[in-house]
Amino acid sequence: MNEVSGVNAGDDTVIPVGGWKVPRIDLLRRGFPLIFLVILITVFTIMSPRFLSLDNLSTVLEQGTVLLVAALGMTFIIMAGSIDISVGAIVAVSALVAALTADTLGAWAIIPAIAAGALCGCINGLLLAVGKVPSFIATMGTMVVYRGLVLYFTRGAPVSIDDDSFLGTYSDYSWGIPHSVMIGLALALLAWGIINYTVFGREVRAIGGGERVSILTGISVTRVKILMFVLLGALSGMAGLLQGARTMAATSQLGLGLELDVIAAVVVGGTPLTGGLGSIVNTMLGVLIITLLSSGMNMAGVDPYLQNIIKGAVLICAVFVTIDRKKIGIIK
Amino acid sequence: MTLVAAHLYKQFGPTRAASDVSITLRTGTVHAIVGENGAGKSTTLRMLGGATRPDSGEMTLRDAPYAPQSIVDATLRGVALVHQEITINRSLNIAENIFIGNLRSYARPLGIMKRKQMATVAQAALDRIGVDISVSTSIDRLNLGELKCIEIARAISSNPNTLLLDESTAYLDHREVDAVLRVMRELKSQGMTIGFVSHHLSEVLAAADDLTILKDGQFVGSFRATEVEEGEIHRLMVGRDLTHGTYPPRASPPALSAPAILRAEKVAVGRELNEITIEVRRGEILGLAGLKGAGAEALFAGIVGDEPLRHGFMQLAGKNYHPSNPRAAWKHGIAHLPGDRGNEGLIAGFSVLDNLVMARPPRRGPFFDRSRARAMSKELIKLIGIRTSGADAPCRSLSGGNMQKVVLGKCLAVGPELLLLNNPTRGVDVGARVEIYGLIRQKAAEGLAIILSSEDMPELIGMSDRLVVLRQGVIAREFPSAEGVQEHDVVQYMT
Repeated sequence: MNEVSGVNAGDDTVIPVGGWKVPRIDLLRRGFPLIFLVILITVFTIMSPRFLSLDNLSTVLEQGTVLLVAALGMTFIIMAGSIDISVGAIVAVSALVAALTADTLGAWAIIPAIAAGALCGCINGLLLAVGKVPSFIATMGTMVVYRGLVLYFTRGAPVSIDDDSFLGTYSDYSWGIPHSVMIGLALALLAWGIINYTVFGREVRAIGGGERVSILTGISVTRVKILMFVLLGALSGMAGLLQGARTMAATSQLGLGLELDVIAAVVVGGTPLTGGLGSIVNTMLGVLIITLLSSGMNMAGVDPYLQNIIKGAVLICAVFVTIDRKKIGIIK
Repeated sequence: MTLVAAHLYKQFGPTRAASDVSITLRTGTVHAIVGENGAGKSTTLRMLGGATRPDSGEMTLRDAPYAPQSIVDATLRGVALVHQEITINRSLNIAENIFIGNLRSYARPLGIMKRKQMATVAQAALDRIGVDISVSTSIDRLNLGELKCIEIARAISSNPNTLLLDESTAYLDHREVDAVLRVMRELKSQGMTIGFVSHHLSEVLAAADDLTILKDGQFVGSFRATEVEEGEIHRLMVGRDLTHGTYPPRASPPALSAPAILRAEKVAVGRELNEITIEVRRGEILGLAGLKGAGAEALFAGIVGDEPLRHGFMQLAGKNYHPSNPRAAWKHGIAHLPGDRGNEGLIAGFSVLDNLVMARPPRRGPFFDRSRARAMSKELIKLIGIRTSGADAPCRSLSGGNMQKVVLGKCLAVGPELLLLNNPTRGVDVGARVEIYGLIRQKAAEGLAIILSSEDMPELIGMSDRLVVLRQGVIAREFPSAEGVQEHDVVQYMT
């Protein structure tokens, strides 16, 4: 029964079945985000001793929360082998909805904000799953539309948020911890639970691992795809609300380019763009890396005009180390 | 110009892929390397062809030392390797595919191609191997066998004296296999030395002068093809004689008057299947014979709801049944083992457990019930005899036969009423085949209705209770009992 021998794993790699070991390159791939984070913290601490101060870390966490909340949703999308580049625009839409409703609804503005995000996500999901438009193209189009909607309704002018109940709920502190960070961590726990413990999480992963296999095995691929985009939309809605609460206004520029940071965070965390794999813990590491990189460079006094170059280089470097080159070419 | 290899060893990690393999390719003969999956056939052939470098051992080519560092190196020495996978690029034309590695020699300055000259030389290469393909044919109109012939033409365009064909025929159907065998004979008559790897024993005996048997990476022996019997080869490959008892004895099939579990009335699907009526009963294995494109795959696609019916209707246990997608089919108790294991059957990067419970994951509300999944897969691994280090091992680490058992396990996990099998033993070694056959027969005896489509004629005849031959989308012949039916009886209705 457990008689074990070497077996052919395709071209010319033979994997021993007995003690199935993780090859060394895989260890590097998996450990990379953590190693990188440690290096980052060490370097910045040396360059600027204030970097590790509690005060700074709290600021960093607060800055990173918006990114985290959106990246949680993006983890599902990337795990399924898709992509969504309309995240930044959805954040702007939701922030605007929150700003417009905060006066009357107060903290309950969360409901329309999340609903708006979910609706945007639902449109993305329908375009992909029913319209069969590749997600990159579909969300590129909706990105422009969603951002355009915000521009149209605001005419470029910021909409300020000054409702006390709203701001008190989403941008205040309790016991020294920002509410936004608590919300972000709670959502992370929820997303972690969905990925690891629900059938839906497994189905998302299966679609990324092999869409044709999933269809033929009776997984409702259409439904799962729509649901995961709705999930990302809702989380982006939450991110928009938190961002609006932080800046106390919704602007047409809010969340501009955020999608790049979100995707970068997920990928730097080690979730491959090719689908089938993904973990919330890794995404959290990725978010920390992206956030610390920005704030660390600022604190260390790196030339602001140089920062984008470094950020881009870091992203490429991370993909270079973590990507599974056998699966390139199937990003949907 | 004989290629002689002595005492080749190759180790991948802790696994011995080839151990003390010695092989002599005599000039102008066809030499077959046979063995079960994972026996080291491909590794051996790849070492001869420069694709893999042996850890130790000596090779000589025409009495000169031969240690190719790469495929290119081997090609320069006159040894050409045709890979196992089809490597045709469908966006290029035939001539460009043949000269893909050598396009530069047909380029004018500025990189403009000398199309006419290339086409002429390509046609000459195709004519030389004796296939009736014109270079002007669109590549989309060629079947797998013809694509394989293009690859052979590519290999011989470098004018080699030795041609190595890796499992060239594993995915080809009857007619296509014949085409490739014809090419091999033609090249042999021109003095080419040929080494090839194959799963199909009958084909080996039809074409080979010599054969070398490998088992678990060990060299078993080399023989003249005339000196050994098929049963003996089986015994040496597997360690037991399989010619008798490959196929389990038939239980008494249900009476033809028994009610059908599935009845398809005048169903037409896609362009391939035209209004056929077919039914299958509980406890019955219905065999579908036919060439690729004759309609079996289309029928399966229709039954599982992967493609809509163009015409006709289906009834499942007497009730109307029209699945809108494969999900509906699984819900109705129809399990489906697709023909393309890698792309349709399982997700190789996922664990055995993940694949086994994929069709109907045990759940508590929205939550995945991991402990029940573990128990289920443990049971299935035992029932089906999947050889794996555990339920968490990735399927990628299993042999082809064991991967197929995982797909079969996924089907059985849902407790189906009807099981559709599309080439269930494609690329599966003899030992695992016998186990799969036994299991299929056992499930049929327990009352499962099974439709089996296969390009492997002996398998189809050996396993089916009743046999339907499809030709160009219609039923060409039905054998009410497959008992005693001969291969040529079936084949004559296929073409």
